[in-house]
Amino acid sequence: MAAPALAPDDAAAVHAHTPHGNDRAATTREWSRTIVRLPSRLAGGALWLLLGVLLLVPTLCFLVLAVSPRLFEQGTEWFTLRNFGVALQGQTLQGLLNTLVVGVATAVCALVIGLGLAWLTQRTDFGLQGVWTILIWALLLMPSYFSTLGWQSLLVRNGVFSQIGIDPTELRDQFFGPIGIVWILTTKGIPFAYLAIAAGLGGLGREFEDAARVHGATPRESLRIAMTILSPALWSALAIVFAEAISDFGVASTLGYGARFPLATFTLYRAINSIPIRFPVASVIGWFLVSAMIVALLVQNRALKGRSFAVLSGRTRPAMPTPLTGRGRAAAWAAMLVFFGLALGVPLFGAVSASFLLGIGGTITRSGLTLDNYRAALTSRDLLAPMLLSAKVAAITATVAVVLGVTIGRIIAQRRAGAVGRALDLALLGAVALPGVVLAAGYIFAYNLPIFRVIGFSLYGTVFLLGMAYVASSLPATTRLLLGPLAQMQRSLTEAARVHGASEAEAVRSTLLPLMARSILWAWLLAFTHITLELPISEILNPPGEPPLAVGIIRHLDHTDYTTGAAMLAVAVGALLVVIGVVLGVYRLVVPAGWQRVRAR
Amino acid sequence: MIRLHRRIAPLPTSARWFAIVALLLSVLVTACGGTDATVAPTAAPAATKAPTTAAPAAATTTAPTAAATTAPAVATTAPAATTAPAAASAPAGTTAPAAAATTAPAASAGSGPTKLTGAAVPLVIYAAHGAAQPMADAFTMTTGIPTKIVAESTGPLLAKVQAETNNPQWGMIWIDGAEAMASLDGQGQLLKGYTPDVPYNDLGKSLVPKTQSFVPTGATVTGALVYDTAAVKNPPATWEDLLKPEYKGMTGMNNPAISGPTYPFVAGQMQNLGGVDQGKDYFKKLKTNGLHVYTTNKVTLAALGTGEIKMAIVQSSAATAAAQKTPTLKVIYLPKVSLLPSNIGIDAKAPAQVQTEAKMFAEFVLSQKGQEIMKAADLSGDSLYYPIITGVTPLPVLPALATIPTQTVDPYVWGARVNEINQWFTENIA
Repeated sequence: MAAPALAPDDAAAVHAHTPHGNDRAATTREWSRTIVRLPSRLAGGALWLLLGVLLLVPTLCFLVLAVSPRLFEQGTEWFTLRNFGVALQGQTLQGLLNTLVVGVATAVCALVIGLGLAWLTQRTDFGLQGVWTILIWALLLMPSYFSTLGWQSLLVRNGVFSQIGIDPTELRDQFFGPIGIVWILTTKGIPFAYLAIAAGLGGLGREFEDAARVHGATPRESLRIAMTILSPALWSALAIVFAEAISDFGVASTLGYGARFPLATFTLYRAINSIPIRFPVASVIGWFLVSAMIVALLVQNRALKGRSFAVLSGRTRPAMPTPLTGRGRAAAWAAMLVFFGLALGVPLFGAVSASFLLGIGGTITRSGLTLDNYRAALTSRDLLAPMLLSAKVAAITATVAVVLGVTIGRIIAQRRAGAVGRALDLALLGAVALPGVVLAAGYIFAYNLPIFRVIGFSLYGTVFLLGMAYVASSLPATTRLLLGPLAQMQRSLTEAARVHGASEAEAVRSTLLPLMARSILWAWLLAFTHITLELPISEILNPPGEPPLAVGIIRHLDHTDYTTGAAMLAVAVGALLVVIGVVLGVYRLVVPAGWQRVRAR
Repeated sequence: MIRLHRRIAPLPTSARWFAIVALLLSVLVTACGGTDATVAPTAAPAATKAPTTAAPAAATTTAPTAAATTAPAVATTAPAATTAPAAASAPAGTTAPAAAATTAPAASAGSGPTKLTGAAVPLVIYAAHGAAQPMADAFTMTTGIPTKIVAESTGPLLAKVQAETNNPQWGMIWIDGAEAMASLDGQGQLLKGYTPDVPYNDLGKSLVPKTQSFVPTGATVTGALVYDTAAVKNPPATWEDLLKPEYKGMTGMNNPAISGPTYPFVAGQMQNLGGVDQGKDYFKKLKTNGLHVYTTNKVTLAALGTGEIKMAIVQSSAATAAAQKTPTLKVIYLPKVSLLPSNIGIDAKAPAQVQTEAKMFAEFVLSQKGQEIMKAADLSGDSLYYPIITGVTPLPVLPALATIPTQTVDPYVWGARVNEINQWFTENIA
């Protein structure tokens, strides 16, 4: 008879009743096991310590501040809820409410469009999947302040539209407010929605809909069934887009601020960046943002609770794509063109044309093409040195994030059932949704505490601290990205290498590395791109005299100097594309051909 | 049994590491709670930087007594007398041989230029002044002292300083407005008792604070009204006029929580109108009449440029530059506007070497060469100032200061209220 699994309490009870001799033997065994496991435990401990330093301690210190300002010398009370009262009024309250509305609206819009895109690319014979995938990745990588800049350049008074004789007044009044904000955030959210839904659609065969149709369901009813089966993907798309939208800083600090539509991330930033400085209020806004994320995840959980959506089985076959009729195809083309035109084309056109035009947003109605903006950009102190700094820091931090990501990913993938794995998984899942402003405010607060001065260890204001925050911000997503391919790795491969006499490092090099190389490369490139153009953390942890790239650029946009800002952004994005091209080229040339045949999915 | 052990083994391990993280956190928290404001700043670094902190401390004790007896008008005659005890007590108090050389000249202001001995260290300058970067470049070229500029608006810079109270990263700060400086001085953040040995003119002399806690570098006027002559045919003649319906939705100004020159304007209005409450009432009415609030001079003027507003209340330098560039704009000064000095403050907690370098920087700014740079570096803004050094003339485009109806705002009275009023403004008007 198979022994039933025992709960830990039962185990303790069993222990208590064993004879002394056995007990001693068990203790010895346990000790020897402890010693054998020591290195791995030390490594595990170091990992937790690292996560603590990178993520947990700064964030927790910052959040605790709201209720216990005395603990950090920010007030007189050991415990108070007063700061919540202070924050829940005026502009700050308005910012919180706006954020909720924008978050929900963005999530719904992105879901609808993302679903349409996924359906078209996965379930019809529309084709050109590679092209759409590239465009969606481009959307994912484009910083939200880039889109904002593009639209602003087109619509501002004496902007691109005015200069070519189109009166944008009406569109401007509409766009410079919640509508524009939701649209730009929607375009940023669609890649997340698309990726989540496309993954779900991939696992959904056609059988369910066909079965429904056979049983007399109308096309609408069969669609409803498909949607119900897809609901885990839909809910997670909603949750992740909502989280991304409420934690966005690029739009909040440009369009949101310009349109007098305060959003929580920007009010948080203002609370720690104007006079008087109000860390406790910032902390309350941090609470709000984190709670909103948690609520979103709980709603998602609750919506799916107690129901099974398992449709993947050995018999799942890829769905037969629906052939599009001539009219359907034309409509699909139109939809795709309109969508990508508005999401990518318009901002790109706005930003690029602004970089070649004279006097946008100014009084003097000069018009015409010029290279002056590029001259100004290239001679500005805010471009070249910051770009080099950001590229250098991004290269280092992306490498660190990928190495840590692989390490943590292996632990999670190997110990799926273990508490350590689960805790790591949970910590990192939560951290994916942690807004950059909260993390950075936590850093500026925690690493400036007097304790660090007392122990003579001062990281505050250094490029190193900025790098730490970059690692912390990109680690969760990098780990998530690597987790899939790592989970597919058969452990037996590494074990076989070990059995054949390879050292641990050699085993990893000869089995894990070749299979993972491609995934690692893409994870690195994603982290690198994200960090190079990262805004909120750079803005808040900007080291003295060494501004990162995004800070240099946003400084011009802040001062409504769109043309120089646009030229700077164009140079920066161009340089970034060159770096990506070079890295991919080097990978092709240097990495053994065998490695390149492995395609991670 | 063994299998069972394995199954539950990870739990205690992770729990243990959770405990360690929690323990670290609690150690951190205890340490933070334990270091009270009175202990942290001085006691901890004292061991390593005894000579450094002793010099300002000596100055701190001597300056107020001198200031109490000295009227602001004669402040310039006082430095020699007031700093003399500081000079005497600083070396006596510190006497660590290595550092004595650096603190001694630092304390001997009033009797010649400050000189640096020993190796130069990077001077971190928090600057909202448009001439900061070229000035720093020239300073580095002349003295060999490396500089790092953190260029931002005054509000964010002050927020940074405030956030770093326990762990200051700055060596000196160069911003517009004496109130913010007085506020920093009130928190003990500024080195007291130093006035450079430079030939201040009468205006300059009147701007040197009683405590000698910051160094005036020039003056502008806050509350200049720039208007679009095409849209406003009948410009207002008084501040009250701005509340009239004919100007509804036309006016824009900066947020004092972000823009340095704007708090002195707000404080000046409150002083004009007879008190804080009357002032608040005025701004509320202005808001009802459609006041637009932007971040800084540049942004408010950009809104004027695009026609979003028709009148902008900004700093005189930015206003003059805008009118220079766009002939349809005109600058007027309604009675009364406030005199706005730009000032350099030196970090009280910085190492002696940094303080010496900051003094050298202030003296460089006020030298003939520095003044030339200041007059040429930022023609669209901060170069349009009224020099406070004898023999240096303002740029010809500026109207004579005597023709402008100015008033002086007491920095120490209004500096103490800066947080409260800015917060009120941000919550209610911005």
